[in-house]
Amino acid sequence: MISANTYIKPTSVSQAISLAAANPGNFSYLAGGTDLLVNKSQGNDHSAILIDLSEIAELKQVFANDVQLVIGAMVSLDELKTHPLITGHFPILCTAANSVASPTIRKTATLGGNLLCENRCSFYNQSEWWREAAGHCLKCNGSVCLATGGNKNCFSKFVSDTAIALISLHTSIEVVDVNGTTILPLESIYTGDGISPRQLAETAIITAICIPLNEGIRGVYKKLRKRETLDFTSLTTAVTLDKTGRIRIVLGGVHAKPVVVDGTKNNDPIALISQAISNTRIVDNDTYSRAYRKEMITVFLKRSLNEMQLF
Amino acid sequence: MQQISLKINGKFFHFLVDDHEMLSHVIREKAGLTGTKVGCRQGSCGACTVLLNNKAVLSCITPAVRCDKAEITTIEALAEHGKLHKLQEKFVQKGAVQCGFCTPGMVLTALSLVTTLSLKEGAASLIHQIKEGLSGNLCRCTGYTKVIEAVAEYALETCDPYFTKKAILANELKRAVGIPRPYLEAEKKVKGAAEYADDVISKNSLHCKFLRSVYPHALINAIDVQDALNLPGVHYVATGKELPVKFGVLPISQDETAMAVEKVRYIGEIVAAVAADTEEIAEAALRLIKISYHPLKAFLTIDESLNDAGENEKIHEYGKFNNNIHKKAELRFGDQQQGIRDAEVNTSMSFEFDGVNHGFTEPHAATASWDENGLTIITATQVPHYLHRALAKVMEIPLGRVRVIKPHLGGGFGGKSDPFPHEIIVAHLARKTGRPVRVCLSREEVFLTNHGRHPTKMTVSLGISRDGTMKVLDADMAIDGGAYGSFGVVTTYYNGVLLQAPYKLDNFGFRTYRVYTNKPQCGAMRGHGAVNSRFAVESLIDDLAIQIRMDPCELRMKNFLDSNTLTVGQYRITSNGSRESLEKVMEQSGWKARIGKMEKGKGLGVACGFFISGSALPIIWNELPQSVVHLKLDFDGRVLVTSGASDIGQGSDTMLAIIVSEVLGIGMDKIFVLAADTLLTPVDFGSYSSRVTFMAGNAAKDAAENLKKEILASVSKKHAVDSDELNLSDNRLFTHDKSLDLSWMEAVEILTAKRGAVCVSGKYISPKLGGDFKGAGAGLSPSYSFGACIAEVDVDMETGFVKVTNVWGAHDCGKALNPLAVEGQLEGSWHMGTGQAISEQMKYYKGLLFNNNFLEYKIPTTVDTPDIHANIIETIDPEGPFGAKEAGEGAIHPVIPAIANAVFNATGVRITRLPISAEEILEGIKKNK
Repeated sequence: MISANTYIKPTSVSQAISLAAANPGNFSYLAGGTDLLVNKSQGNDHSAILIDLSEIAELKQVFANDVQLVIGAMVSLDELKTHPLITGHFPILCTAANSVASPTIRKTATLGGNLLCENRCSFYNQSEWWREAAGHCLKCNGSVCLATGGNKNCFSKFVSDTAIALISLHTSIEVVDVNGTTILPLESIYTGDGISPRQLAETAIITAICIPLNEGIRGVYKKLRKRETLDFTSLTTAVTLDKTGRIRIVLGGVHAKPVVVDGTKNNDPIALISQAISNTRIVDNDTYSRAYRKEMITVFLKRSLNEMQLF
Repeated sequence: MQQISLKINGKFFHFLVDDHEMLSHVIREKAGLTGTKVGCRQGSCGACTVLLNNKAVLSCITPAVRCDKAEITTIEALAEHGKLHKLQEKFVQKGAVQCGFCTPGMVLTALSLVTTLSLKEGAASLIHQIKEGLSGNLCRCTGYTKVIEAVAEYALETCDPYFTKKAILANELKRAVGIPRPYLEAEKKVKGAAEYADDVISKNSLHCKFLRSVYPHALINAIDVQDALNLPGVHYVATGKELPVKFGVLPISQDETAMAVEKVRYIGEIVAAVAADTEEIAEAALRLIKISYHPLKAFLTIDESLNDAGENEKIHEYGKFNNNIHKKAELRFGDQQQGIRDAEVNTSMSFEFDGVNHGFTEPHAATASWDENGLTIITATQVPHYLHRALAKVMEIPLGRVRVIKPHLGGGFGGKSDPFPHEIIVAHLARKTGRPVRVCLSREEVFLTNHGRHPTKMTVSLGISRDGTMKVLDADMAIDGGAYGSFGVVTTYYNGVLLQAPYKLDNFGFRTYRVYTNKPQCGAMRGHGAVNSRFAVESLIDDLAIQIRMDPCELRMKNFLDSNTLTVGQYRITSNGSRESLEKVMEQSGWKARIGKMEKGKGLGVACGFFISGSALPIIWNELPQSVVHLKLDFDGRVLVTSGASDIGQGSDTMLAIIVSEVLGIGMDKIFVLAADTLLTPVDFGSYSSRVTFMAGNAAKDAAENLKKEILASVSKKHAVDSDELNLSDNRLFTHDKSLDLSWMEAVEILTAKRGAVCVSGKYISPKLGGDFKGAGAGLSPSYSFGACIAEVDVDMETGFVKVTNVWGAHDCGKALNPLAVEGQLEGSWHMGTGQAISEQMKYYKGLLFNNNFLEYKIPTTVDTPDIHANIIETIDPEGPFGAKEAGEGAIHPVIPAIANAVFNATGVRITRLPISAEEILEGIKKNK
């Protein structure tokens, strides 16, 4: 064969991490693979070594303790809806998960994988041949952003729908790498840099998603797309309210990272919406125009606040 | 590489696989189970779905190594001991199988879905769950209607043993015509056993890959293929100079070469081709080919191409003027000036339409080989006959050295109705290497090959009197043909001429320009030529109805042409079911009670249309009949039907059998159809212009009647009874008084005695039609179909999002020879039209197609497709076989404007661009405030 492709299926997190540590710069972790393998077939991922996490049992557990619900990173998006703990406490997460891709893909795609779904752009998610014909963009080692003509920033969109819902639920993640285990707020791993949208150690694996219980959170989730299935997001919104009156607004698809705005019931909702909009960085790299997506933020947020009787 | 073991369909396999090889590749290429189809290679279409340890997965994005030691179930395992699984049975009975390419994935997805369905909440909930569950599986033929029905009925029967519904056992019925029945090959398709072009794998074949231009318009300075040739495993590298002979589907547009010679005209044009041992080697070789280009000015829009071009900037050399206009067509009838004076109310609007693509699920694929008989190519084509001619021409060999075989075909819709470069190139590579050469295009390449509907700009004016009588119609249009001619000259005319019905118009004229641009070429697509101009006219009628405060249905009723009349351009209208069609959908949708009384954001819209039943003139002028069918009846009592007609999933093989069965009064089990093999079958011009039922059907009827005469004559002689006394029916031959009553086999014995197999031929030749002016031939057809649609939409007034909730459609197909197949064609047309209306468009970035895949080219899924209510209107055409006319294309015309008119009804926003965009609706709503 032409390439020395390798595929390894470790059975524990520590084994996976040692394999990764031994192959710096040349591997990708494979969760469900429904995103990575498409990017790979288009030549947007060149890692020769695939470290498949799908046989690691410890990553597939779901349990609750007194303070939080813990979901293993390798639980599939489809399985989320079968756990009464999840459907009961966090229906917004199920709605978000069910809005990802297609029913068949959701049987393979995992929650952890979705959090690490690669950013997207009309100029990036193309075949190698296409990108050569277009002239390579910043995200493909080129020198210019084809969406804006600029040469500094990459505006690839953050498209994980479950991340938007989870951040609205004040979720933390457990991350393990060669240096040990860390607990981080989910939003903290997203950089806002379209080229390298996540800051995690190269060997890091998200092992668990931890959602706080007992905060009395309720919320509303919405997603803009042309078709009511299959499509990646053009705008995702999640709005939540907890029992102390904290409001959190999270937007996806309108920046290289999730946009998060915190407030309380006492804030003027219009001011919160304006703040959210001013934090976005939308460009024309989507099936919907920049102006329209921006306009829809207000519509979606007003509707969400309305449904929660906050507006 | 790794050694893996898989238990596929209960059988253990050991495979050596590449670590990054996908499961679909192993299943198809290594286990040889080609029932698993690959439509997109990126998880966006669902065709490759298999069960992995009983869980549905997309095998095109599942690494094979991940499945080591797992159990895989493919479609081939479902039928046990040859007996269909109950779910497969439902797919067959319900007509959920058309081209069959999405079927294996659809069946397996449905199978894993049914175990999760909840039946407690009633039928509506069940349908909703099924739609949701199948929403990742694209189907381009059925509009999902019959698929959903099949799954729902299976679910109900499985859960409720008392729920039974009698299936129609078509073969036991005495009559053949008019009985709804599944396709002859439906079982084979639902089992995954039907072979498509990429499933027919010749031994020892090489793989072909193409290097494509990255410039829209450029001179080729030099091509260096040496490094590619030196790569081990590469057998040949071909470039354009080796195949300089030009071809094209129309004799007047022979403007394309198999690969670019000296210059490239669009991004994606093939510049070089590699034949190698494996796809991977061929791909690696492409990266070693060095090409230097000299870029030229690119013409990317209609307006740019209408303007004068600079020195050496013309896309093609020929053409009288110094611009990139390919064809201008203009025809005027009656007196338009007088019409304008007579009209009391006028409206004029400008429209713009993006290009759309056929979106068939099976990618183009072909295998070519040479032997002592010359060239044989097995390919996914709608037009074996025209490909036959093009191959002979370009390969510079006699017609008698070419054999084109069309296997089962995964949808065409016009997108496989030209001879294609890839077909010619594999023929060339096979000749050069002495080995069979195969190719299967990626979805991106399918989109670049295009030949889809032309992007169009037009200004159309319509004038009526206050009482609603149409007085004058004028259309000024320009269509974007892309880099080559294809069917474009026909499209240019169709844009205009197909506006002269279904309404009576005495004063009518049009002018159309087709321009060349540096983009993938456009051609024929379902509803060819007139879909966009029909949209314009139906929108104008809607506007005028509002202006004169008349119900738009009434306005249309007032203007319909009669049956048995001539149009202003001398089309001969025979049967005409316009009125019945419109009445039917008005009644079914509750139009009168609901229109004008709906809340803001909800609306109904109506539109009508018509289409040709086959072009009366051949594309290549010659005196062959349009279609010939041969029948052979041998000692075993079986009738072999041979026809060049291409079944592309529309059911034409079944149609031929039905006709022969009806004429001879024998069961379908005694009929065997062999079609679309240019060595074995007589010429039929192909599956385009909605001609097959009418023309091949008439040829089959003629042949069957000739055979009947032979049978009756031999029995008459043997038993000394008058031929007129004899009847053939219900598998028997008998006299009126039954004094002589023979079984079919007894009759066959009499016929074949001392003679052996009897072969007869039948043909269809269109009558001479039309006027004698230049352009009179465009759109001439021996008969025309008619129809109407009413659409219902629900528009979100804050987001502009359009949800099409219902389409009620009625189509006059003359006579439904197979009502199940006709419904399938109608539902598929209305689904495809819904796509063009709300979501489908080809978007370009500097001549480079943005959305070249099934994720970004947005074909409506189950959840985006309205509930479709199909009605067949029968008018019994005097010349169609048993009264039949076309049903495959015309139905798409009315649905798109019906949706747009419904959007106007709901929002007050007039749609003048397709696809309908939420952005523009919202802008319009704001303007209206």
